[in-house]
Order: sequence, then C-alpha cells, then structure tokens
Amino acid sequence: MKKTQTKAFANLVAAIILLVFEIWAYVQTLGFKIVKKAAVQPATFPQIMCIGMMVFTVILIIQSLLKLKNMKEDDPLAEPAASINIFKNKGVQAAAFVIVLCIAYAALFEVLGYVLVSAVVAAIIMILIGKRDAKQIALVSVLVPLAMWLVFYKLLTVNIPMGVLQPLRNLIDMI
Amino acid sequence: MNWGLLFESYGAVFFNPQVLLMTLIGATGGVLLGAIPGMTATMGVALLIPFSFGMDLIPSIGLLLGIYCGGMYGGSISAILIHAPGTPAAAATLLDGYPMCQKGQAGRALSIAMFSSFCGGVIGALIMTFLSPLVADVAMEFTSAEMLMLAVFGLSVIVAISGQSISKGLISAFFGMLLCTIGMDPTYSAKRYTFGVKPLYSGLAFIPVLIGLFAVAEIIAGVERIINGEEKQETSNEKIKEVLPDLKTIMQIWPQIISGGIIGTFIGAIPGAGGDIAVFVSYGFNKSFSKYPEKWGTGIPQGVASTESANNGCSGGAMIPLLSLGVPGDAVTAIILGAFIMKGIQPGPTMYFDKLDTVYCVFAALMLANLAMLIVGCAGVRFFAKIVSVEKKILYPIILVISLLGAFSINKNVFDVGVCVVFGIIGWLMNKYEFPLSPILLALILGPMCEQNFVRFMDLNGGNFMAITGHPIAIGFFVIAVGTVLFSIYNQQKINKREAAAKAAAKAAEGK
Repeated sequence: MKKTQTKAFANLVAAIILLVFEIWAYVQTLGFKIVKKAAVQPATFPQIMCIGMMVFTVILIIQSLLKLKNMKEDDPLAEPAASINIFKNKGVQAAAFVIVLCIAYAALFEVLGYVLVSAVVAAIIMILIGKRDAKQIALVSVLVPLAMWLVFYKLLTVNIPMGVLQPLRNLIDMI
Repeated sequence: MNWGLLFESYGAVFFNPQVLLMTLIGATGGVLLGAIPGMTATMGVALLIPFSFGMDLIPSIGLLLGIYCGGMYGGSISAILIHAPGTPAAAATLLDGYPMCQKGQAGRALSIAMFSSFCGGVIGALIMTFLSPLVADVAMEFTSAEMLMLAVFGLSVIVAISGQSISKGLISAFFGMLLCTIGMDPTYSAKRYTFGVKPLYSGLAFIPVLIGLFAVAEIIAGVERIINGEEKQETSNEKIKEVLPDLKTIMQIWPQIISGGIIGTFIGAIPGAGGDIAVFVSYGFNKSFSKYPEKWGTGIPQGVASTESANNGCSGGAMIPLLSLGVPGDAVTAIILGAFIMKGIQPGPTMYFDKLDTVYCVFAALMLANLAMLIVGCAGVRFFAKIVSVEKKILYPIILVISLLGAFSINKNVFDVGVCVVFGIIGWLMNKYEFPLSPILLALILGPMCEQNFVRFMDLNGGNFMAITGHPIAIGFFVIAVGTVLFSIYNQQKINKREAAAKAAAKAAEGK
C-alpha cells in the first residue's frame, strides 16, 4: 500500500490543516479588546488554548513524519485511512448528501416549520438508505415530527416554528 | 443527630400517599424528559414547578426531587440507545453504554445504569443525612483558587479518555476549551470570535454542540455505513429476564458504584460543580485504578456504573449546601430553593435548629425519589431496550429530527440548529480521523469554570499566580491532577503494549 493511503499520512494532513486553523485563531486574538490594568486580558485564555493546540499539533506532525519514515507493516498507523473521497466512495457521497440535507433543514426550519421540513428530510433519508415501503415512509416521516411537535408544544409548552402549517397550530389551540 | 425524629420523618414521608404519588409522578416525568436529547433535569423541574404551587412543602419537594433523580437516569437512556446523551450529566455514560448496546446488550446496560443511578442516589442521600454540615463546611472553603484547581483536576481526566493517541486527545481538549471562549468575555465583555454574528455573543450553547458531535455525527456515519454495506442491524435477541442486574454483575460493579456515588456527592456539594463534571471525574478515576483499563470504552458494565452512580450521587451532594447554608449547589437546587422560599422556609444554618423535622423530611424525600426512579426504570427497561431493534433505516431519520428539535428547544433559537449541524459535520470528520470527541465535551463543561476562576484569581492576586501556594485544598487538587495525568499516561502505554502484543499473537496464530 502507498504511504499516502495510510493512517499516519492522514494524521499528517489533518495536523497541517489544524495548524493553519490554530495560527488563524491565534491571529484573531490579536484584535481582541485590550483592558487597561487587567491582570488577565480577554485574549489571554484563547491564546493559551491556541498555543496548547499548536504544541500538540506539532507533536502529532513529528510523530506522523517519524512513523512514515520507519513504518512497519504491522503498525496500526500503517492501516488504510478512512476515505473522504466524494467521487470514489458511495458512502461518502451519501454522507455528503445528508450533510447538505441537514444544512437545508437548518435554513428552512423557520420558513417551512418543524413538522414539514422534518417530514421531508426524514422521508428523503429513508429513501436514500434503501427504505422502499411507501406506507411506512409516509407514516413515520409525518407522524413522528407531528407527535414530537405536539409533545413539545402542548406538554412542555415550547413554541416550535410551524411555518406554512401555522393553521394547524391554530386548530390545535381551538381544540 | 436526633434519631427518633429522623425515623419519624422517614415514616411521615414514606407512608404519606400524596408524597408517594407526587414523587412517582415526578420520577416518571423526569425519566421521560431526561430521555429526550436536549431536555435536561433543570428544564424538567422548571417546567413542572407550577404544578407544585398548590401543594404542601414535602409533596412538592418530592415531586421536584423525583424529576431531578428521574432526569439524571433518563439522560442515560438515549446515551446508551442512540449515542445522544439526554442530559449533560449522561455525557460520559455513552462511552461504554453505547458500545454495550452495539454488542446487543442494551437491556443490560440500561439495567446497570438504573441500578447504579439508584445506588449512587442512595449513597448521596445517606451522606447528605449524616455528613451534610461537615461536607458543606469543606465545600464553602472553595474560593476561585480551589475552583480553578478543581477544573484542572477535572481536565486531567482527558488523558484517561483520550484513547490510543494522547496528542489527539489533548488537541481535541484544547479545541473544546477554545470553543468556550467564543462570545463575550465573561469579565470585560470583550467580543471574541463573534465575527459580528449576534447569536454568537452569548457563546455556543452546550447542548446543541453535544447533540451535534454525538447524535448527528453518528447519523451521518450510519448512513455512510449503510450505503457501504457495513451497517449491522441489531435485532435485540437479548432476552431480558430480570430488569435488575444479576448478582454476578453487581459483584463486578460495586466498587465503581460506591466510588462514583462518593465522588458524585462531594462534587455535587461544591456550588457551581455538578453531575456533568462528576461523571468524567468518576470515569477517569475508576479507569485509572482498573486492572484492565484497555477494556474501558469498549462496552463494559463498570464504565456505565461509574458514571451513573456519580451523576445521581450529585443529587444528594447538591442538596447539602442548599439545606445547611442556603446556597444551591446547581441549577435544579436553585429552583428547589425557590420552592422552599415560596412556602415561607429559608434554608440555611438555622434550619437545622428551627426546622429539623423539615430537613429530615427532605432527606427522606430524596431517598424516596431514588426509589421511585428505580420503580419507573424497572417498569421501562424492557420497553426502552426494544428501541434498538427498530430498523436502522427508520431509526436514523427519527433520531435526526428529534435531535435537531432538542437542539432548538434549549434556547428556542434556529441558530442552535445550525450549530448542531456544523458540529455534526465536525464530529463525523473527527471520528473518521480518530480524534476522540469526549475530551471536547469535558473541555466544554470545564472551560468556562476554568477561565472565570483563573481570571478572578489573577485579578484578586494582582497577577501573581504563585499566590495559589497559599491554598492547601487547591494544591491538593493540583497534586491529584498531576498524579492522574502521569498514571493515565502510564496506563495508556500499558494498554498500547498489550494491544500490540495481542495483535502480534493473533498474526502469529494466523501464520501457523
């Protein structure tokens, strides 16, 4: 197996990405408000955290480089790394699709309302992962969000957005 | 100790039908609410307190304590079954509870959680009964220095829960601590990492991050596994004959139950520290002193017992400063304090002289609440355990829509749904590249406590950190923290060596 497909190489790549993030997070702290005569500045704690992260990220980079140099076949880090190749792995494609669905869910939560957006997303995911029983899909995807909305709205008095299904709330209120 | 009055008070509580009924209703509500991701015991108590307005003091306290204890156990149900802790105090239960569920032992894990919760609660109630003035005196010695070092001690557990790579665990922990700094600085109100996004001013809410990292990440990974044909459907062939753990299991877990109960009670007694901290401290402590630390995190009963006894032990601990000093130990006891005041009773040192019968009745009510939780738990184990046998293709979408609703319900804010999704993606990626998620959780719990007390301590001492040497309890915590880290590193090396040897042996056997 190529070294670039091992867990050790994946660790190296992850650590480099993390290091870039940590440097960015540290640079951000330089713009935080400075308070005169304060023993600890608002930036101090985040800076300590960034430095802590950097130290252990550098350690991870060194560990990964050393592993890649002297890797034995039976080393746990010589095993193949998990794939995030969206073009080659169907599972990753499906996971990416669920992520897109979740983002759409958050964006449409208030506009369409919890029940509708949940029913649509639940039905799409069920179909995506191979559920083919239309009756079951329809029942589960509609009844579960509806029941949860009723529990939260009526029993726990938590106001959940209903969006386009607002008339349903009015109906329940009347009952 | 007035033994006669103590027995009389226990009798008055245990043989009062109204108290019995209210405590049972409270425990049922608590278990059900706690099992919903995002609904905490605090929310449950806050929601149901209006129902106690018209009652006498003891039935209303019974109702509230029932919710409190039930909620603590209820949180473990979703942690074990769907990898989404119902409450922050159940966050560590998933470390071994969920793997047990994956092994087809969901019912066993639930019964262990329930039994350990009950025992932890009883230990807390007993310590509260006999040692409350003493424990309260020690807890009230805590200044910012002690609180800071308590947080450091809590964080030292990170090494124990980091898994194979300590560097990755510590990166996760620092990342979690960095996340805590998002929002307005608690001391000077300076904006940090807010980028002009107003909902970020108050920082990231803990529950949506928790739900995202564990539940949403698990669903994304589950969908990926199903498509790749790697997902196994748990058919729950487990036959639950007894709803309580068998004698053999009890013999295995009793040391963890006792130590967890004591740790939980002590941490619960410290104002500002609660079940969410106690569970990790108990888990780390018990793992460090285990004969086989390598098995922790793979689904062993001891892991579930150590956390569940600690979080219910906290319920007794949190009542100690409330009754003896009038200072609530956590958010739930703050609400219970309100219930006392509404009834015209001011908890505090004088209560032990003026209203000793009421104090003893509260002790008894806590004991009863734990018993009610056990009864409700026993009745529900078989039903809860069936959830895992629901087809994954149906279960995953259901968990997703319930989890995202849980994230919303905390602050009734759509922004939290977005936060939950973002952390779902982060959790999925971190799982893929074997960065442990539990240290983030611990850091999110302890980060704000650590920073606030660090700033307060430094301000009070003119920036001289060495002034901490004048605080013996703080130094004690620091020494224990250093010891825990060193011991955990030693343990992890032992685990890595054992695993390597086992792999080599397996390979040699294959070769033959």
